[in-house]
Amino acid sequence: MNVNGQKVSFHSPAQRLLDYLRDSLELTGAKEGCGMGECGACTVLVDGEPVCSCLVLVGQISNADVVTVEGLAGADGLHPVQQAIVDCHASQCGFCTPGVVVSTTALLARRPQPDETEVREALVGNLCRCTGYQAIFRAITSLGE
Amino acid sequence: MVELLSPATLLDLRTLAGTGRIIAGGTDLIVQMRSGRNETHLIDITNIEDAPPAAIIRSGVAELSAMASITKVVDELNGRLPGIAAAAQVFASLQIRNRATIGGNLANASPAGDMIPPLVAAEAYAVVDGPSGQRRIPVDELITGPGRTVLEPNEWLSLVGVPLFEGEEGFIKLGGRTAMAISIVSLAWRWHRSDHGALTGVRIALGAVAPTVVRAHKAEAILEGQQPTADVVMAATDALQTEISPIGDVRASAGYRQAVAGGLLRQALATS
Ligand SMILES: Cc1cc2nc3c(=O)[nH]c(=O)nc-3n(C[C@H](O)[C@H](O)[C@H](O)COP(=O)(O)OP(=O)(O)OC[C@H]3O[C@@H](n4cnc5c(N)ncnc54)[C@H](O)[C@@H]3O)c2cc1C
Ligand code: FES
Ligand code: FES
Repeated sequence: MNVNGQKVSFHSPAQRLLDYLRDSLELTGAKEGCGMGECGACTVLVDGEPVCSCLVLVGQISNADVVTVEGLAGADGLHPVQQAIVDCHASQCGFCTPGVVVSTTALLARRPQPDETEVREALVGNLCRCTGYQAIFRAITSLGE
Repeated sequence: MVELLSPATLLDLRTLAGTGRIIAGGTDLIVQMRSGRNETHLIDITNIEDAPPAAIIRSGVAELSAMASITKVVDELNGRLPGIAAAAQVFASLQIRNRATIGGNLANASPAGDMIPPLVAAEAYAVVDGPSGQRRIPVDELITGPGRTVLEPNEWLSLVGVPLFEGEEGFIKLGGRTAMAISIVSLAWRWHRSDHGALTGVRIALGAVAPTVVRAHKAEAILEGQQPTADVVMAATDALQTEISPIGDVRASAGYRQAVAGGLLRQALATS
């Protein structure tokens, strides 16, 4: 398995990817909101596709490329999605933000200029208790402009 | 400690099958284990090199992998089987669809499983694989009750065969909200509509209104050969309500489900 471009190994195939990332690799960007696929705070990319890391066991993806929110920023600063979230004040408590950012990067890779329906559909699995979503949608649509 | 084995070939799976619980997307199983379901040995079926392709078309039948993610299957179908695609579109979230499989939806055997009504309406069959070879079962005979199927512990679902169809087909569900909601009632249909509006080959399946997904044979018979005029539709929805046996639960009362089932049929007749 590669995580954020680095080869890693694991010892317990039945460990949840979320626990492996947070506890073994100390990548604490992905959060555990619900542990049952509902909230999306644990979203990471597996071979480019967003998945809930609370519902994947590491042994199931031993050959995969995993990207977490920590793997998105470049040496020269934040990823454009992260910057847009900052600029549009689209993060309040921040618990949902890593998942939102990861889901959004996957959407933009597929659809560089998504319309609002596509943005809403891509973020159905990312719950936010704070922002009311409007600032998040504004941040994402600002990227396509 | 839970153990997880990932067979790399169907042959390996054949040897391992029965020694543990199959895990595909894990979107039901991991959630259930978190709420106390005890499993000590898991057999992962998402890394099998010679698993069936996500979808292929073979003499009028679309064969969909039971072991591939719903996202992959629908991408591969590329607009074919609109009833399946409509169910996938309102299925959970992208993150879940990227892992969840049709096999898991069938084997989990929830009355509200959203991939089941379009398969039942299409008179699809499942291919069951196991140590003693393959057998074929109509999807509506696969599930015997909530959480119960005719699968033996050492068998697995390998694919579903869905006859292609030239007429109208679709799927609608009512949930607590538009996305990420368990179906309160769902309805899938297939029928031909002539130039004069007469319906033939009518197939209707409903989810979440009985212990398993059910066909609405009486409503089908009333609609067959008819134009869906107000009287015909009224007779069909009345019949529909006699052939379902919904329960009341935290999501909706039985009476509400009765009413909604008729409403969904009316909507299906009006939209397609
Ligand atoms: C947040 C969330 C939202 C959801 N929304 C929906 C929804 O909108 N509609 C809906 O219908 N469901 C929904 N589900 C339920 C679930 O995603 C589906 O039932 C899914 O299809 C299960 O597939 P899986 O591959 O994840 O199954 P798993 O969890 O891997 O397995 C489920 C069961 O099936 C068995 N199994 C799996 N594959 C096979 C096989 N090939 N052969 C034999 N047995 C097998 C396993 O042993 C297990 O008992 C949701 C789940 C979550 C967590
Ligand atoms: S923690 Fe994974 S979806 Fe909520
Ligand atoms: S910012 Fe608090 S949950 Fe989204």
